[in-house]
Amino acid sequence: MPALRVSGLTFSYNGGPLLQDLSFELHPGDFMCVLGPNGSGKSTLLRLLTGYIKPAAGSVRLAGEEVSALKPGRLARLAAYVASETATPYDFSVREMVLLGRTARAGFWRGYSAADGAAADLALQETGIVRLAGRSVNTLSTGERQLAFIAQALAQEAKVLLLDEPTSHLDLKYKSDVMGLLRSLAGKGLAVAAVLHEPALAALGCNKALVLGAGRYAFGPASAMLSPANLAAAYGLPPDSPLLPKQ
Amino acid sequence: MRKNRLPLLLAALAAACLFSLAAGPAGLAPDIVWHLRLPRTLAALAVGAGLGLAGALFQGALKNPLSDPYILGTSSGATAAAVLCFMAGIERTSPLFFAAVFAGAFGATFLSYWLARLAGRLSDAALVLAGVAVSAFLSALVMLVLSAGRERSFSLFYFVLGGLYPSEPGVLAASAGIIAVCAALAMLRWRALDAMALGEDSAYHLGVDPARERVLFFSLACAATSAAVALGGTIGFVGLMTPHIVRLLTGPSARALLPAAAVGGAALLAAADAAGRTLFSPAEIPAGVVMALAGAPFFMWLLWRGARGRA
Repeated sequence: MPALRVSGLTFSYNGGPLLQDLSFELHPGDFMCVLGPNGSGKSTLLRLLTGYIKPAAGSVRLAGEEVSALKPGRLARLAAYVASETATPYDFSVREMVLLGRTARAGFWRGYSAADGAAADLALQETGIVRLAGRSVNTLSTGERQLAFIAQALAQEAKVLLLDEPTSHLDLKYKSDVMGLLRSLAGKGLAVAAVLHEPALAALGCNKALVLGAGRYAFGPASAMLSPANLAAAYGLPPDSPLLPKQ
Repeated sequence: MRKNRLPLLLAALAAACLFSLAAGPAGLAPDIVWHLRLPRTLAALAVGAGLGLAGALFQGALKNPLSDPYILGTSSGATAAAVLCFMAGIERTSPLFFAAVFAGAFGATFLSYWLARLAGRLSDAALVLAGVAVSAFLSALVMLVLSAGRERSFSLFYFVLGGLYPSEPGVLAASAGIIAVCAALAMLRWRALDAMALGEDSAYHLGVDPARERVLFFSLACAATSAAVALGGTIGFVGLMTPHIVRLLTGPSARALLPAAAVGGAALLAAADAAGRTLFSPAEIPAGVVMALAGAPFFMWLLWRGARGRA
Protein backbone atom coordinates (compact mmCIF):
# COMPACT_ATOMS: atom_id res chain seq x y z
CA MET A 1 0.00 0.00 0.00
CA PRO A 2 1.36 3.45 -0.86
CA ALA A 3 2.06 5.76 2.08
CA LEU A 4 0.33 8.56 0.23
CA ARG A 5 -2.02 8.27 -2.74
CA VAL A 6 -3.44 11.35 -4.43
CA SER A 7 -6.02 10.91 -7.17
CA GLY A 8 -7.90 13.45 -9.26
CA LEU A 9 -7.09 16.28 -6.82
CA THR A 10 -8.57 19.57 -8.01
CA PHE A 11 -8.47 22.92 -6.25
CA SER A 12 -9.52 26.37 -7.45
CA TYR A 13 -8.38 29.70 -6.09
CA ASN A 14 -10.00 33.05 -6.87
CA GLY A 15 -12.13 31.41 -9.56
CA GLY A 16 -9.24 29.92 -11.54
CA PRO A 17 -8.07 26.32 -11.29
CA LEU A 18 -4.82 26.07 -9.32
CA LEU A 19 -4.46 22.30 -9.26
CA GLN A 20 -6.32 20.18 -11.76
CA ASP A 21 -6.81 16.43 -11.72
CA LEU A 22 -3.55 15.83 -9.90
CA SER A 23 -2.61 12.19 -9.22
CA PHE A 24 0.54 10.62 -7.78
CA GLU A 25 1.70 8.09 -5.23
CA LEU A 26 4.49 8.08 -2.66
CA HIS A 27 5.86 4.91 -1.12
CA PRO A 28 7.93 4.42 2.03
CA GLY A 29 11.49 5.50 1.21
CA ASP A 30 10.45 8.03 -1.43
CA PHE A 31 11.80 11.58 -1.18
CA MET A 32 9.80 13.84 -3.48
CA CYS A 33 10.50 17.48 -4.22
CA VAL A 34 7.63 19.75 -5.24
CA LEU A 35 8.82 22.41 -7.68
CA GLY A 36 7.19 25.16 -9.67
CA PRO A 37 7.01 28.93 -10.00
CA ASN A 38 5.52 31.15 -7.28
CA GLY A 39 1.76 30.84 -7.11
CA SER A 40 1.70 27.45 -8.82
CA GLY A 41 0.07 25.87 -5.76
CA LYS A 42 3.01 24.13 -4.06
CA SER A 43 2.18 25.19 -0.51
CA THR A 44 -1.54 24.79 -1.19
CA LEU A 45 -0.89 21.20 -2.25
CA LEU A 46 0.74 20.35 1.11
CA ARG A 47 -2.22 21.77 3.00
CA LEU A 48 -4.59 19.77 0.82
CA LEU A 49 -2.59 16.65 1.64
CA THR A 50 -3.11 17.19 5.39
CA GLY A 51 -6.79 18.11 5.00
CA TYR A 52 -6.24 21.60 6.43
CA ILE A 53 -7.97 22.92 3.33
CA LYS A 54 -10.56 20.95 1.35
CA PRO A 55 -10.21 20.15 -2.36
CA ALA A 56 -12.98 20.87 -4.86
CA ALA A 57 -12.66 17.28 -6.08
CA GLY A 58 -10.45 14.25 -5.75
CA SER A 59 -9.11 12.19 -2.91
CA VAL A 60 -6.04 12.00 -0.67
CA ARG A 61 -5.29 8.76 1.14
CA LEU A 62 -2.70 8.31 3.88
CA ALA A 63 -1.88 4.64 4.46
CA GLY A 64 -5.20 3.87 2.77
CA GLU A 65 -7.26 6.22 4.97
CA GLU A 66 -9.23 9.00 3.30
CA VAL A 67 -7.92 12.30 4.70
CA SER A 68 -11.22 14.18 4.48
CA ALA A 69 -12.77 11.67 6.91
CA LEU A 70 -9.97 11.86 9.49
CA LYS A 71 -10.00 13.75 12.77
CA PRO A 72 -6.91 15.96 13.39
CA GLY A 73 -5.68 13.56 16.10
CA ARG A 74 -5.60 10.59 13.72
CA LEU A 75 -4.17 12.69 10.95
CA ALA A 76 -1.25 13.86 13.09
CA ARG A 77 -0.31 10.21 13.65
CA LEU A 78 -0.26 9.51 9.90
CA ALA A 79 1.37 12.65 8.53
CA ALA A 80 3.55 15.36 10.05
CA TYR A 81 3.74 18.82 8.51
CA VAL A 82 6.50 21.40 8.89
CA ALA A 83 5.33 24.91 7.97
CA SER A 84 7.68 27.29 6.19
CA GLU A 85 7.64 29.45 9.27
CA THR A 86 6.16 28.89 12.73
CA ALA A 87 6.33 31.82 15.10
CA THR A 88 5.14 31.99 18.68
CA PRO A 89 5.47 34.93 21.05
CA TYR A 90 6.15 32.55 23.95
CA ASP A 91 9.57 31.24 24.94
CA PHE A 92 9.03 27.49 24.74
CA SER A 93 12.27 25.56 25.12
CA VAL A 94 13.34 23.43 22.17
CA ARG A 95 12.55 20.25 24.11
CA GLU A 96 9.09 21.54 25.09
CA MET A 97 8.52 22.39 21.43
CA VAL A 98 9.57 18.92 20.29
CA LEU A 99 7.40 17.32 23.00
CA LEU A 100 4.40 19.16 21.52
CA GLY A 101 4.86 16.81 18.58
CA ARG A 102 3.49 14.15 20.97
CA THR A 103 0.14 15.98 21.35
CA ALA A 104 -1.74 13.39 19.32
CA ARG A 105 0.02 10.44 20.96
CA ALA A 106 -0.10 11.33 24.67
CA GLY A 107 -3.23 10.67 26.69
CA PHE A 108 -5.10 13.94 26.86
CA TRP A 109 -5.42 14.28 30.63
CA ARG A 110 -1.95 13.12 31.66
CA GLY A 111 1.49 14.59 31.41
CA TYR A 112 3.98 13.21 28.92
CA SER A 113 4.94 9.59 29.46
CA ALA A 114 8.45 8.13 29.42
CA ALA A 115 7.77 7.00 25.84
CA ASP A 116 6.93 10.58 24.86
CA GLY A 117 10.16 11.80 26.42
CA ALA A 118 12.14 9.08 24.64
CA ALA A 119 10.56 9.95 21.27
CA ALA A 120 11.43 13.61 21.80
CA ASP A 121 15.02 12.81 22.73
CA LEU A 122 15.38 10.55 19.69
CA ALA A 123 14.05 13.32 17.45
CA LEU A 124 16.56 15.76 18.98
CA GLN A 125 19.35 13.27 18.25
CA GLU A 126 18.26 12.55 14.68
CA THR A 127 18.22 16.27 13.89
CA GLY A 128 21.49 16.85 15.76
CA ILE A 129 20.18 19.51 18.13
CA VAL A 130 20.48 17.80 21.53
CA ARG A 131 22.72 20.67 22.64
CA LEU A 132 19.88 23.15 21.99
CA ALA A 133 17.29 21.27 24.08
CA GLY A 134 17.11 23.84 26.88
CA ARG A 135 17.25 26.96 24.70
CA SER A 136 14.17 29.09 23.95
CA VAL A 137 13.05 28.58 20.34
CA ASN A 138 12.94 32.34 19.98
CA THR A 139 16.70 32.64 20.52
CA LEU A 140 17.65 30.18 17.74
CA SER A 141 19.09 31.00 14.35
CA THR A 142 16.84 30.36 11.34
CA GLY A 143 18.61 27.09 10.59
CA GLU A 144 18.49 25.80 14.18
CA ARG A 145 14.84 26.76 14.32
CA GLN A 146 14.09 24.80 11.17
CA LEU A 147 15.75 21.74 12.68
CA ALA A 148 13.73 22.16 15.88
CA PHE A 149 10.45 22.09 13.96
CA ILE A 150 11.61 19.10 11.91
CA ALA A 151 12.38 17.40 15.25
CA GLN A 152 8.86 18.24 16.43
CA ALA A 153 7.45 16.60 13.30
CA LEU A 154 9.64 13.51 13.82
CA ALA A 155 8.36 13.17 17.40
CA GLN A 156 4.91 12.61 15.89
CA GLU A 157 6.22 9.27 14.57
CA ALA A 158 4.16 9.65 11.40
CA LYS A 159 5.15 7.71 8.28
CA VAL A 160 4.65 10.67 5.95
CA LEU A 161 6.63 13.88 6.38
CA LEU A 162 5.53 17.02 4.51
CA LEU A 163 7.70 20.14 4.53
CA ASP A 164 6.94 23.58 3.12
CA GLU A 165 10.17 25.20 1.92
CA PRO A 166 12.36 23.68 4.65
CA THR A 167 15.47 25.29 3.15
CA SER A 168 14.31 28.85 2.54
CA HIS A 169 16.22 31.54 4.46
CA LEU A 170 18.97 29.03 5.28
CA ASP A 171 22.63 29.41 4.35
CA LEU A 172 24.21 26.88 2.00
CA LYS A 173 25.60 24.68 4.78
CA TYR A 174 22.21 24.39 6.48
CA LYS A 175 20.50 23.78 3.12
CA SER A 176 22.83 20.89 2.53
CA ASP A 177 22.39 19.59 6.10
CA VAL A 178 18.58 19.72 5.95
CA MET A 179 18.53 17.95 2.56
CA GLY A 180 20.91 15.31 3.94
CA LEU A 181 18.68 14.82 6.99
CA LEU A 182 15.56 14.42 4.83
CA ARG A 183 17.36 11.95 2.55
CA SER A 184 18.42 9.86 5.55
CA LEU A 185 14.87 9.94 6.96
CA ALA A 186 13.56 8.62 3.64
CA GLY A 187 16.26 5.98 3.91
CA LYS A 188 14.73 4.92 7.23
CA GLY A 189 11.41 4.26 5.52
CA LEU A 190 9.55 7.56 5.75
CA ALA A 191 7.82 9.01 2.71
CA VAL A 192 9.05 12.60 2.47
CA ALA A 193 7.64 15.42 0.33
CA ALA A 194 9.29 18.85 0.40
CA VAL A 195 8.37 22.03 -1.42
CA LEU A 196 11.65 23.47 -2.71
CA HIS A 197 12.34 26.90 -4.07
CA GLU A 198 15.53 26.00 -5.87
CA PRO A 199 15.55 23.09 -8.35
CA ALA A 200 19.28 22.62 -7.81
CA LEU A 201 18.61 21.37 -4.26
CA ALA A 202 16.52 18.49 -5.61
CA ALA A 203 19.72 16.86 -6.79
CA LEU A 204 20.66 16.33 -3.11
CA GLY A 205 18.75 13.11 -2.71
CA CYS A 206 15.26 13.40 -4.20
CA ASN A 207 14.18 10.32 -6.14
CA LYS A 208 10.79 11.70 -7.23
CA ALA A 209 9.75 15.11 -8.44
CA LEU A 210 6.42 16.86 -8.90
CA VAL A 211 6.56 19.96 -11.07
CA LEU A 212 3.56 22.29 -10.93
CA GLY A 213 2.70 25.20 -13.20
CA ALA A 214 -0.25 26.88 -14.89
CA GLY A 215 -2.80 24.30 -13.73
CA ARG A 216 -0.74 21.45 -15.22
CA TYR A 217 1.63 19.10 -13.50
CA ALA A 218 4.27 16.50 -14.22
CA PHE A 219 5.28 13.73 -11.84
CA GLY A 220 7.99 11.14 -12.20
CA PRO A 221 11.50 9.99 -11.25
CA ALA A 222 13.63 12.97 -10.28
CA SER A 223 16.31 12.16 -12.85
CA ALA A 224 13.86 12.50 -15.74
CA MET A 225 11.82 15.36 -14.33
CA LEU A 226 14.74 17.60 -13.47
CA SER A 227 16.20 17.84 -16.96
CA PRO A 228 17.12 21.43 -17.88
CA ALA A 229 14.59 21.41 -20.72
CA ASN A 230 11.77 20.37 -18.39
CA LEU A 231 12.63 22.90 -15.71
CA ALA A 232 13.19 25.69 -18.23
CA ALA A 233 9.69 25.13 -19.56
CA ALA A 234 8.17 24.99 -16.05
CA TYR A 235 9.81 28.19 -14.82
CA GLY A 236 9.72 30.06 -18.15
CA LEU A 237 13.51 30.32 -18.39
CA PRO A 238 15.84 29.87 -21.38
CA PRO A 239 17.18 26.26 -21.40
CA ASP A 240 20.76 27.48 -20.94
CA SER A 241 19.96 29.65 -17.89
CA PRO A 242 22.71 29.40 -15.25
CA LEU A 243 19.97 29.15 -12.59
CA LEU A 244 19.06 25.65 -13.73
CA PRO A 245 20.95 22.58 -12.49
CA LYS A 246 23.43 21.03 -14.93
CA GLN A 247 23.14 17.38 -15.77
CA MET B 1 13.12 22.05 32.55
CA ARG B 2 12.58 25.06 34.72
CA LYS B 3 12.69 24.71 38.48
CA ASN B 4 9.47 24.50 40.38
CA ARG B 5 8.73 28.03 41.51
CA LEU B 6 5.41 27.26 43.19
CA PRO B 7 6.70 28.04 46.75
CA LEU B 8 7.67 31.54 45.63
CA LEU B 9 4.21 32.10 44.21
CA LEU B 10 2.49 30.78 47.32
CA ALA B 11 4.65 33.06 49.48
CA ALA B 12 3.51 36.03 47.40
CA LEU B 13 -0.09 34.90 47.86
CA ALA B 14 0.33 34.61 51.63
CA ALA B 15 1.94 38.04 51.82
CA ALA B 16 -0.89 39.60 49.79
CA CYS B 17 -3.49 37.95 52.07
CA LEU B 18 -1.79 39.24 55.22
CA PHE B 19 -1.51 42.73 53.71
CA SER B 20 -5.17 42.66 52.75
CA LEU B 21 -6.31 41.44 56.19
CA ALA B 22 -4.14 43.94 58.10
CA ALA B 23 -4.51 47.05 55.91
CA GLY B 24 -6.96 49.74 56.86
CA PRO B 25 -7.53 52.67 59.23
CA ALA B 26 -9.18 50.49 61.93
CA GLY B 27 -5.98 48.61 62.75
CA LEU B 28 -6.34 44.98 63.73
CA ALA B 29 -9.70 45.05 65.51
CA PRO B 30 -10.87 41.40 65.39
CA ASP B 31 -14.42 42.33 64.39
CA ILE B 32 -13.21 44.34 61.42
CA VAL B 33 -10.73 41.71 60.33
CA TRP B 34 -13.20 38.88 60.62
CA HIS B 35 -16.42 40.46 59.31
CA LEU B 36 -15.20 43.02 56.81
CA ARG B 37 -11.66 42.32 55.64
CA LEU B 38 -11.84 38.53 55.44
CA PRO B 39 -14.87 38.41 53.08
CA ARG B 40 -13.33 41.18 51.05
CA THR B 41 -9.98 39.42 50.84
CA LEU B 42 -11.71 36.21 49.77
CA ALA B 43 -13.59 38.14 47.07
CA ALA B 44 -10.32 39.68 45.84
CA LEU B 45 -8.70 36.24 45.70
CA ALA B 46 -11.61 34.74 43.73
CA VAL B 47 -11.87 37.65 41.27
CA GLY B 48 -8.09 37.78 40.79
CA ALA B 49 -7.88 34.02 40.23
CA GLY B 50 -10.71 34.13 37.69
CA LEU B 51 -9.21 37.01 35.73
CA GLY B 52 -5.66 35.60 35.83
CA LEU B 53 -6.94 32.26 34.56
CA ALA B 54 -9.00 33.92 31.82
CA GLY B 55 -5.98 35.95 30.73
CA ALA B 56 -3.78 32.86 30.45
CA LEU B 57 -6.51 31.06 28.47
CA PHE B 58 -7.00 33.94 26.03
CA GLN B 59 -3.28 34.56 25.55
CA GLY B 60 -2.75 30.88 24.75
CA ALA B 61 -5.83 30.15 22.64
CA LEU B 62 -5.32 33.27 20.53
CA LYS B 63 -1.50 33.09 20.42
CA ASN B 64 -1.67 36.74 21.37
CA PRO B 65 0.21 38.13 24.38
CA LEU B 66 -1.84 41.35 24.27
CA SER B 67 -5.17 39.66 24.98
CA ASP B 68 -7.07 39.53 28.23
CA PRO B 69 -10.76 39.73 29.20
CA TYR B 70 -10.61 43.51 29.53
CA ILE B 71 -9.00 44.20 26.16
CA LEU B 72 -11.10 41.68 24.22
CA GLY B 73 -14.37 43.18 25.47
CA THR B 74 -15.27 40.12 27.56
CA SER B 75 -15.45 42.15 30.77
CA SER B 76 -17.47 44.91 29.08
CA GLY B 77 -19.94 42.35 27.75
CA ALA B 78 -20.32 40.82 31.20
CA THR B 79 -20.67 44.25 32.85
CA ALA B 80 -23.27 45.44 30.34
CA ALA B 81 -25.32 42.28 30.91
CA ALA B 82 -24.96 42.65 34.68
CA VAL B 83 -26.11 46.29 34.64
CA LEU B 84 -29.10 45.40 32.45
CA CYS B 85 -29.95 42.63 34.93
CA PHE B 86 -29.76 45.02 37.90
CA MET B 87 -32.01 47.47 36.06
CA ALA B 88 -34.49 44.68 35.30
CA GLY B 89 -34.50 43.67 38.96
CA ILE B 90 -32.57 40.41 38.50
CA GLU B 91 -30.22 40.19 41.47
CA ARG B 92 -26.83 38.48 41.79
CA THR B 93 -28.28 35.60 43.77
CA SER B 94 -30.31 34.44 40.76
CA PRO B 95 -28.89 31.78 38.39
CA LEU B 96 -30.47 33.80 35.59
CA PHE B 97 -28.07 36.61 36.46
CA PHE B 98 -25.02 34.35 35.89
CA ALA B 99 -26.50 32.99 32.67
CA ALA B 100 -27.10 36.51 31.34
CA VAL B 101 -23.62 37.72 32.33
CA PHE B 102 -22.02 34.70 30.65
CA ALA B 103 -24.05 35.33 27.49
CA GLY B 104 -22.88 38.95 27.49
CA ALA B 105 -19.24 37.95 27.97
CA PHE B 106 -19.35 35.20 25.34
CA GLY B 107 -21.20 37.37 22.81
CA ALA B 108 -18.79 40.29 23.18
CA THR B 109 -15.71 38.02 22.92
CA PHE B 110 -16.84 36.28 19.76
CA LEU B 111 -17.92 39.61 18.26
CA SER B 112 -14.36 40.94 18.78
CA TYR B 113 -12.89 37.74 17.40
CA TRP B 114 -15.18 37.75 14.37
CA LEU B 115 -14.45 41.43 13.64
CA ALA B 116 -10.70 40.80 13.85
CA ARG B 117 -11.06 37.77 11.58
CA LEU B 118 -12.91 39.75 8.88
CA ALA B 119 -9.58 41.07 7.65
CA GLY B 120 -8.51 37.49 6.88
CA ARG B 121 -5.49 36.32 8.81
CA LEU B 122 -5.87 37.00 12.53
CA SER B 123 -3.36 39.63 13.61
CA ASP B 124 -2.57 40.76 17.15
CA ALA B 125 -3.28 44.39 16.31
CA ALA B 126 -6.61 43.64 14.61
CA LEU B 127 -7.77 41.73 17.67
CA VAL B 128 -6.88 44.56 20.05
CA LEU B 129 -8.61 47.10 17.78
CA ALA B 130 -11.75 44.99 17.52
CA GLY B 131 -11.77 44.53 21.30
CA VAL B 132 -11.42 48.28 21.85
CA ALA B 133 -14.32 48.95 19.48
CA VAL B 134 -16.60 46.39 21.13
CA SER B 135 -15.62 47.58 24.63
CA ALA B 136 -16.21 51.23 23.78
CA PHE B 137 -19.68 50.50 22.45
CA LEU B 138 -20.68 48.36 25.43
CA SER B 139 -19.29 50.91 27.91
CA ALA B 140 -21.31 53.64 26.20
CA LEU B 141 -24.36 51.41 26.51
CA VAL B 142 -23.73 51.00 30.23
CA MET B 143 -23.29 54.76 30.69
CA LEU B 144 -26.54 55.35 28.79
CA VAL B 145 -28.40 52.98 31.09
CA LEU B 146 -26.84 54.54 34.17
CA SER B 147 -27.68 58.06 33.03
CA ALA B 148 -31.28 57.12 32.27
CA GLY B 149 -32.01 55.22 35.46
CA ARG B 150 -31.13 57.57 38.28
CA GLU B 151 -32.18 55.83 41.48
CA ARG B 152 -29.70 52.96 41.42
CA SER B 153 -27.00 54.65 39.45
CA PHE B 154 -24.77 55.55 42.35
CA SER B 155 -24.21 51.99 43.59
CA LEU B 156 -23.97 50.69 40.00
CA PHE B 157 -21.40 53.33 39.21
CA TYR B 158 -19.07 51.73 41.73
CA PHE B 159 -19.82 48.31 40.28
CA VAL B 160 -18.81 49.56 36.83
CA LEU B 161 -15.63 51.15 38.20
CA GLY B 162 -14.67 47.78 39.61
CA GLY B 163 -14.38 47.35 43.31
CA LEU B 164 -14.66 44.66 45.90
CA TYR B 165 -17.55 45.75 48.04
CA PRO B 166 -19.49 43.58 50.47
CA SER B 167 -21.69 41.07 48.70
CA GLU B 168 -23.82 38.13 49.80
CA PRO B 169 -21.79 35.07 50.88
CA GLY B 170 -23.81 33.06 48.35
CA VAL B 171 -22.49 35.17 45.46
CA LEU B 172 -18.92 34.73 46.67
CA ALA B 173 -19.36 30.96 46.96
CA ALA B 174 -21.01 30.68 43.53
CA SER B 175 -18.34 32.77 41.80
CA ALA B 176 -15.48 30.96 43.51
CA GLY B 177 -17.06 27.62 42.60
CA ILE B 178 -17.44 28.54 38.92
CA ILE B 179 -13.83 29.74 38.74
CA ALA B 180 -12.55 26.53 40.40
CA VAL B 181 -14.49 24.37 37.92
CA CYS B 182 -13.18 26.42 34.97
CA ALA B 183 -9.61 26.02 36.25
CA ALA B 184 -10.02 22.25 36.63
CA LEU B 185 -11.52 21.84 33.13
CA ALA B 186 -8.81 24.03 31.58
CA MET B 187 -6.11 21.93 33.26
CA LEU B 188 -7.48 18.83 31.53
CA ARG B 189 -6.66 20.44 28.18
CA TRP B 190 -3.32 22.06 28.97
CA ARG B 191 -1.54 20.33 26.10
CA ALA B 192 -4.13 21.50 23.57
CA LEU B 193 -3.68 25.05 24.89
CA ASP B 194 0.08 24.78 24.32
CA ALA B 195 -0.56 23.61 20.75
CA MET B 196 -2.91 26.57 20.20
CA ALA B 197 -0.13 28.90 21.43
CA LEU B 198 1.77 27.97 18.24
CA GLY B 199 -1.17 29.12 16.10
CA GLU B 200 -4.24 27.40 14.70
CA ASP B 201 -2.40 26.02 11.69
CA SER B 202 0.24 24.32 13.86
CA ALA B 203 -2.37 23.15 16.37
CA TYR B 204 -4.27 21.38 13.60
CA HIS B 205 -1.17 19.63 12.32
CA LEU B 206 -0.21 18.56 15.85
CA GLY B 207 -3.55 16.79 16.14
CA VAL B 208 -5.81 19.36 17.81
CA ASP B 209 -9.07 20.64 16.30
CA PRO B 210 -8.54 24.42 16.50
CA ALA B 211 -12.18 25.42 16.01
CA ARG B 212 -13.33 23.13 18.81
CA GLU B 213 -10.56 24.14 21.23
CA ARG B 214 -11.20 27.81 20.53
CA VAL B 215 -14.85 27.49 21.56
CA LEU B 216 -13.85 25.44 24.61
CA PHE B 217 -11.14 27.82 25.85
CA PHE B 218 -13.22 30.92 25.09
CA SER B 219 -16.12 29.40 27.03
CA LEU B 220 -13.96 28.64 30.06
CA ALA B 221 -12.35 32.10 29.96
CA CYS B 222 -15.76 33.77 29.58
CA ALA B 223 -17.25 31.77 32.45
CA ALA B 224 -14.33 32.65 34.73
CA THR B 225 -14.57 36.33 33.69
CA SER B 226 -18.34 36.35 34.26
CA ALA B 227 -17.92 34.96 37.77
CA ALA B 228 -15.25 37.59 38.47
CA VAL B 229 -17.38 40.44 37.10
CA ALA B 230 -20.44 39.32 39.09
CA LEU B 231 -18.35 39.65 42.23
CA GLY B 232 -16.14 42.65 41.51
CA GLY B 233 -17.42 44.56 38.49
CA THR B 234 -15.06 45.63 35.71
CA ILE B 235 -11.48 45.19 36.87
CA GLY B 236 -8.98 45.41 34.05
CA PHE B 237 -5.39 44.33 33.47
CA VAL B 238 -5.24 41.49 36.04
CA GLY B 239 -5.75 39.06 33.15
CA LEU B 240 -3.18 40.86 31.02
CA MET B 241 -0.40 41.31 33.57
CA THR B 242 -0.58 38.09 35.56
CA PRO B 243 0.36 35.58 32.80
CA HIS B 244 3.29 37.76 31.73
CA ILE B 245 4.62 37.92 35.28
CA VAL B 246 4.15 34.26 36.19
CA ARG B 247 5.59 33.08 32.84
CA LEU B 248 8.92 34.39 34.13
CA LEU B 249 8.64 31.81 36.92
CA THR B 250 6.95 28.87 35.21
CA GLY B 251 7.82 29.15 31.53
CA PRO B 252 5.13 29.27 28.85
CA SER B 253 3.67 25.75 29.12
CA ALA B 254 0.04 25.84 30.25
CA ARG B 255 0.55 22.92 32.61
CA ALA B 256 2.34 25.19 35.09
CA LEU B 257 1.10 28.50 33.71
CA LEU B 258 -2.64 27.96 34.28
CA PRO B 259 -2.49 27.22 38.03
CA ALA B 260 0.23 29.85 38.48
CA ALA B 261 -1.87 32.47 36.69
CA ALA B 262 -4.82 31.75 38.98
CA VAL B 263 -2.64 31.97 42.13
CA GLY B 264 -0.75 35.00 40.82
CA GLY B 265 -3.94 36.83 39.82
CA ALA B 266 -5.38 36.21 43.29
CA ALA B 267 -2.25 37.61 44.95
CA LEU B 268 -2.07 40.59 42.58
CA LEU B 269 -5.65 41.69 43.10
CA ALA B 270 -5.62 41.15 46.88
CA ALA B 271 -2.53 43.35 47.05
CA ALA B 272 -4.04 45.96 44.70
CA ASP B 273 -7.24 46.13 46.73
CA ALA B 274 -5.33 46.49 50.01
CA ALA B 275 -3.18 49.21 48.43
CA GLY B 276 -6.35 51.03 47.37
CA ARG B 277 -7.53 51.00 50.97
CA THR B 278 -4.27 52.32 52.43
CA LEU B 279 -2.69 54.69 49.89
CA PHE B 280 -5.11 57.59 50.39
CA SER B 281 -6.63 56.48 53.68
CA PRO B 282 -9.24 57.25 54.90
CA ALA B 283 -10.38 57.72 51.28
CA GLU B 284 -10.65 54.43 49.41
CA ILE B 285 -9.54 53.84 45.82
CA PRO B 286 -11.52 51.09 44.01
CA ALA B 287 -9.38 48.07 43.09
CA GLY B 288 -10.30 48.60 39.42
CA VAL B 289 -8.71 52.05 39.50
CA VAL B 290 -5.55 50.76 41.20
CA MET B 291 -5.23 48.01 38.59
CA ALA B 292 -5.72 50.46 35.73
CA LEU B 293 -3.06 52.78 37.18
CA ALA B 294 -0.60 49.87 37.27
CA GLY B 295 -1.85 47.95 34.24
CA ALA B 296 -2.13 50.64 31.58
CA PRO B 297 1.61 51.48 31.73
CA PHE B 298 2.29 47.73 31.63
CA PHE B 299 0.20 47.47 28.45
CA MET B 300 2.13 50.38 26.94
CA TRP B 301 5.36 48.58 27.78
CA LEU B 302 4.07 45.40 26.03
CA LEU B 303 3.21 47.41 22.92
CA TRP B 304 6.63 49.07 22.96
CA ARG B 305 8.39 45.74 23.39
CA GLY B 306 6.27 44.21 20.59
CA ALA B 307 7.14 47.08 18.25
CA ARG B 308 10.83 46.66 19.05
CA GLY B 309 10.58 42.90 18.49
CA ARG B 310 9.26 43.42 14.96
CA ALA B 311 11.78 46.11 14.07
